[in-house]
Amino acid sequence: MFSRISSSFYRTAAWRLALRSTIVFAGSSALVFFMMYSLVARAVRERSDSWLIGESETLRQVALTTPKDALYARIVGEVAELATQEFAFDSHDDDASNTVFFYENGEGPEPPLWVGPSGKEAIITSLRRLSLSGRSAVSMTVPGWRMPFRVVAADVGPGMGRIYLGLQDHAARIMLARLLLWFFLGWISMVVFGFLIAVLGMRRTLKRVDAITSAAACIGTGDLSSRVASADKPNDEIARLAHTFNTMLDRISASVNQLQTVTDAVAHDMKSPITSVRGSLEAALSTDDPNLSRELVAGVVESLDRLSEIVTASLDVAEAEAGALRLRREPSDLADLIHRVTELYAPAFNERRQTLNTLAAKPVQAMVDQRFIVRLLSNLLENELRYAGDGAQIMVILTESEGKAHIRIRDNGPGFPPELLAHVFQRFAKGAKSEGHGLGLAFVRAVALAHGGRAWVRNLDAPGGTEIVIEIPTFAANPATSPAQTPTPDRSAGPLLPEPSTDVIVTSS
Amino acid sequence: MRLLVVEDDHTIRDFLTRALTEAGFLVDACAQGTQAERLALEGVHDVMVIDLTLPDMDGLDLIHRLRAQGVSAPVLILSARRSVDERVLGLDRGGDDYLTKPFAVAEVLARIRALLRRSTPNQPEATRLRVADLELDLIRREAHRGGTELQLTQQEFALLEYLCRNAGRVVTRSMVLDHVWKMRFDTSTNIVDVHIHRLRNKVDRDSDKPLIRTMRGVGYVLKD
Repeated sequence: MFSRISSSFYRTAAWRLALRSTIVFAGSSALVFFMMYSLVARAVRERSDSWLIGESETLRQVALTTPKDALYARIVGEVAELATQEFAFDSHDDDASNTVFFYENGEGPEPPLWVGPSGKEAIITSLRRLSLSGRSAVSMTVPGWRMPFRVVAADVGPGMGRIYLGLQDHAARIMLARLLLWFFLGWISMVVFGFLIAVLGMRRTLKRVDAITSAAACIGTGDLSSRVASADKPNDEIARLAHTFNTMLDRISASVNQLQTVTDAVAHDMKSPITSVRGSLEAALSTDDPNLSRELVAGVVESLDRLSEIVTASLDVAEAEAGALRLRREPSDLADLIHRVTELYAPAFNERRQTLNTLAAKPVQAMVDQRFIVRLLSNLLENELRYAGDGAQIMVILTESEGKAHIRIRDNGPGFPPELLAHVFQRFAKGAKSEGHGLGLAFVRAVALAHGGRAWVRNLDAPGGTEIVIEIPTFAANPATSPAQTPTPDRSAGPLLPEPSTDVIVTSS
Repeated sequence: MRLLVVEDDHTIRDFLTRALTEAGFLVDACAQGTQAERLALEGVHDVMVIDLTLPDMDGLDLIHRLRAQGVSAPVLILSARRSVDERVLGLDRGGDDYLTKPFAVAEVLARIRALLRRSTPNQPEATRLRVADLELDLIRREAHRGGTELQLTQQEFALLEYLCRNAGRVVTRSMVLDHVWKMRFDTSTNIVDVHIHRLRNKVDRDSDKPLIRTMRGVGYVLKD
C-alpha cells in the first residue's frame, strides 16, 4: 500500500506526526521490554546460582563426612556426578544440555577430584586465578569456552581443601535468547502496527483539514457558496475550526451579497437621473427655444442634486452603520429640536392636507449631536410626507421614562407592506411605490444606534397606520459620555449582517 | 476685490473663474500649490479659494505655509472630503470656511461675500432693509410693502430678511435651510419651496411687480 502513496505524502503533517509519535513509542516500549528481559534474566541466574550454592554445600558435607580412605574419591566423585547430571539434563531440550563441572582440590597427597567435561586443565587454570570468597557465585570465563561459567567455591574444612562447582546454564541461555527474540518480534510488530494506526488516524483527521483547505481554495476562486461538509461530525478541534470557518463564510457571503445589493441599488438609482441628465442636455443642445433650453437645464440641475443626495446619503448610512460617525454630543433639548424641525415641515404637510401634531411639551435633555438628530427627524418627516398619503394625520410624540427618551412618529396612513415591515431599516429596502432611495430609515436607525439607542417600527392595529419609535438615552442616563468619544452602538451596528428583525415588533400586518 | 482660486480640476476652475468674474471679482486662478504660493505671497488677494487635493501638495499644507508667511486673507476651502473631522481640521489649519463638493455656485458666492464682510468689520449694522417698495424694520421685526404692513410669522420674517440681505443674488435651498433654520441637510422634498410659496403669497399677492422669484434648479432670488 505504501507504493500507492505519492512522495508528497512524506511531506504531510500526518506523516511527520505519525513518525514522531512512533519514534517516541518505539523508544519507550523498547525500554520497557529491556527492563522485563533484565528481570527475567536475573531471576534465571539467581535460580542457577542458588542451585550451585545448595549443591556445593551438599558436596562439602559429603566431602567432610566421608573418611579420607581409598573410597573417598569414588564416593564424592559419584555424588558429584549425580549432582551434575541432575542439573545437566534439567532441560528437556537435548541440544541444550548444561555443562557442569566439579573440582576438589584437597591439600593432602591425593590427586584432585574432577568430574565434568574434558579439557579440565583450562578450567582449573582459570579457577586458580579466581579469587573466590565463599557462598556466592561469580562468573568465570575460560579460554576455549564461549559461554562463561558460574562458579561457587566452598572450603571443606580446615586443611581439607576446596570444592569448586561450576555451571554453564545453556538451557537458561537458550530460553533467554528465545525470550529476547519474541520480545523483539513483538516490539517490532507493535511499532509497525502503531505507526500504521497513527498514520491512518492522523491522515483521516487531517483530511478534514484538507477539506477546509479546499473549501477556502474555492472561496479564493470566487465561489462563496462552498462550505466544509464535515463540520459537525465529532465535536473536536477540527469540527470547531470547520464550524467557525463556515460561520465566517456565512458572514462574508452575507456581507458580499449585501454589498452587491447596495451596489446594484446605487447603480440602479443613479441610472435614471443620469439618463434624464443626458437626455435633457441633448434636448437642450438641439432646441432653438431658449426658454425650453433653460427649463431643460434646470431639470438637469435638479437631477444632479438628486444624484448628489444619493451619494451623500449612501456614504452617511455606510459610515453610520460602520460605527464611524464622529458625534459631537452636546446637552440638547430634544423637545426643542423636534419643534424646530416640525415647524420647518408643517407647511409642507399642510399643502398635502396632512396634519402634523407635535406632543413635546416638556423639555427632555439628552447628550446628542444635534445635526444628526435634526437629520434623523427630517428623514422621518420626509418619509411621512411621501408615504402617509393625502389627508393623513401625523403625530410626533416625545416622552421620557427611566432614562430613555422615546420619539414616536405615528400616522394613520396605509402602513408598511407586511413584507417590507421587517426590512424598513435596511439600506435600499423600499416599497414598490417608493420614490426614495431606501436610505432614509437606514440612516435613522444608524443614528439612533450611534447615540446608544434603538429604533423600531410597527403597524398599528386600530385605526391602522404605522408607528416608528426612536429610543435615545437621556442626559441623566449618560452624563459621563464625553463628546469626543466615538460611540459604541449597543449591538452590532457594523456593516456585516445587520439584524433588523430584532428591531421590529409586528403587531399587525 | 481680487480673488485667488486654487483648483486642479480645470472644469471646476474654469466655471468658478467665469462665475466669479461675472459677479464682479478679479480672479487669479491656478492649478499648482507652488504657483498658488507665489501668487498669494504678492498679498493682493482679498479672499483665497483653495481646493484640498492639489497635484503637488496638500491644500492644508499650502494654507499652513501661507499663514506661516503672514498671508492673512480669508480662505474658503473646497473639498470632496466631507467628514466633520476634515472640516474641523481644515478650519484649524487656517481655513476660514469649508465647502464640500458638489456645491452650488450661488453658495460659493455667498460664502465669499460673507468672508469679505467678516474681514471688513467696520460696517455699521443696518437696522432697516429696503428693496423696491419692500421695507423691513429689523428692530421692530415689521415688514411693509408699498406702505401696507405684511402679516408675517417670525419665521417668514427671517426668511424675507435673508432674501433681502441677499437681494439680487441667488440663494439655494440649502443656504436657506442653513441660515434661516440653522439646519444643514440636503433634501429632495419641497419643504423650502412651500415656505417660499407662502411668503410670496403675502409679499407679492397684492402687487403687480413680484419680487420673489424662483430660479428653477438653482434657488430663489429677491430682486426689483
